[in-house]
Formats: sequence, structure tokens, C-alpha cells
Amino acid sequence: MLKESGFENITIGPAVDTFGGAIGEQSARAFDVFAYAFLATKPT
Amino acid sequence: MTENLSVDPEALRADVRDKYRDVATNPHGTFHFHTGRTLTALLGYDPVVIEAFPDRAVESFAGVGNPFSSRDLQSGEHVVDIGSGAGFDSFVAATAVGDSGRVVGIDMTPEMLAKSRASALAMEMSNVEFRDGLAEAVPVDDGWADVVISNGVINLCADKRAVFAEIHRVLRPGGTLQFADIANGRPVPPEALRDIDLWTG
Repeated sequence: MLKESGFENITIGPAVDTFGGAIGEQSARAFDVFAYAFLATKPT
Repeated sequence: MTENLSVDPEALRADVRDKYRDVATNPHGTFHFHTGRTLTALLGYDPVVIEAFPDRAVESFAGVGNPFSSRDLQSGEHVVDIGSGAGFDSFVAATAVGDSGRVVGIDMTPEMLAKSRASALAMEMSNVEFRDGLAEAVPVDDGWADVVISNGVINLCADKRAVFAEIHRVLRPGGTLQFADIANGRPVPPEALRDIDLWTG
């Protein structure tokens, strides 16, 4: 979707277990939910 | 661009406002996600920066990742924070860009806006301001931003294409989008996608 929206140089960082140890951990595990850092640029 | 949305955007916004009103006014309550200083440590924020912030500027932080982990902000940059909440990431950004930079936080929850504005005043941060607005209609001029950040917000928006179109509009050519958000590795059933309660936990 980032590429379709006109961004380039898209990179995605490693998965972060943001719900680990939280109440929502079980739901997150059920759908393999992790957080990621995204980086992209608008073309010049 | 029109997207076939699985939920009503306004109904989802109302649910999100309810959830994050609670995070703003009752930050030590029980939530399905981590919050506050515990979360900043989990996500690898610079402790030297965070320790200088008063509790009120950190306690309602409810991001999912660290948008600064992929690129350091530069002195003097103009930054827009989409879904700034109680202001934590905006304050981190304001510290990084310094007095010659500028940060505009955008949020739709009145209690979050009130808290972020009060914290900015308390910290005497004059290079950051908070505006009432939606991720799908960002109250910032075309091409104003060098950088757009966001943290755990876009997944809560029904029309993500509209959000990315707005981000693209406010960024200058060559500008950077650096955000953190969640993604699921297994498909979510269609009936679950239509259940607004599941969007906010």
C-alpha cells in the first residue's frame, strides 16, 4: 500500500513483540501480531 | 481513491476516542497493551531523553513500536506526528529537532489534546504544537513536513489509503515517512474485520 501511495525506498525493521506480557498477548499470538518500524520516502 | 471499507469510519473513530480518552485520563488503568515508561523501555527509546520528561508526558504513551529506530531526526526538521496522543513521540521529536525545528502533533481525542498541550507548556517546549484533526484530513499545509511520524495509529484507521495519501500530501518532495505499527502474520476472518470492538482490543 505504501508503494501504491507513491512512496519509495521502503524498508521494514525487525518484528517487535509489543504485546508480550500484556493482557492482549493471547489475542496477538492468535493472529501473529507484531509491531514493525517502517521507513519510506516521497520521491523528489 | 475509494476503498471498500470493512467498518464504518466514524463508528470506529468513536470507539477509538473512548479507548484513548481512558488512556489519557486514567493512564494507570488496565489496558490490553503496555503503557508509559515500561513501554518506552520495552521499545528501546533513549533513556537519557525519556528520564528528563515529567511523568505526565510519558504515562499515557501507548505506541506499539519506536518510529525513531529506523532513522534519527535531524536538527531543524519539520515533523508531523499523526495521532500524537498525549504527545510523547512529539516531545521526543521536538527534543531531537531542537529550537530551529518544529513539530506538529495531530490528534482527534480532546482529552489527549488537552494533556499534550498542558505537558508542552509544563516542559516549556515552544517548538511543538498540537492540532485537532484526523489522520485522513491532516490540518497541515502541502509539503510543509520534512518528516512524518506515527506510532500505532494507522492500524486504527478504516481508510488507510486515505491516510497515506494525506501523509504524501504534507511531506515535501524527498521527505521521509517513519512510523511504527502492527501487522498480523495470519489472516483475520472477515467477520472479525467487521467487529469494531476487535479493532481496539
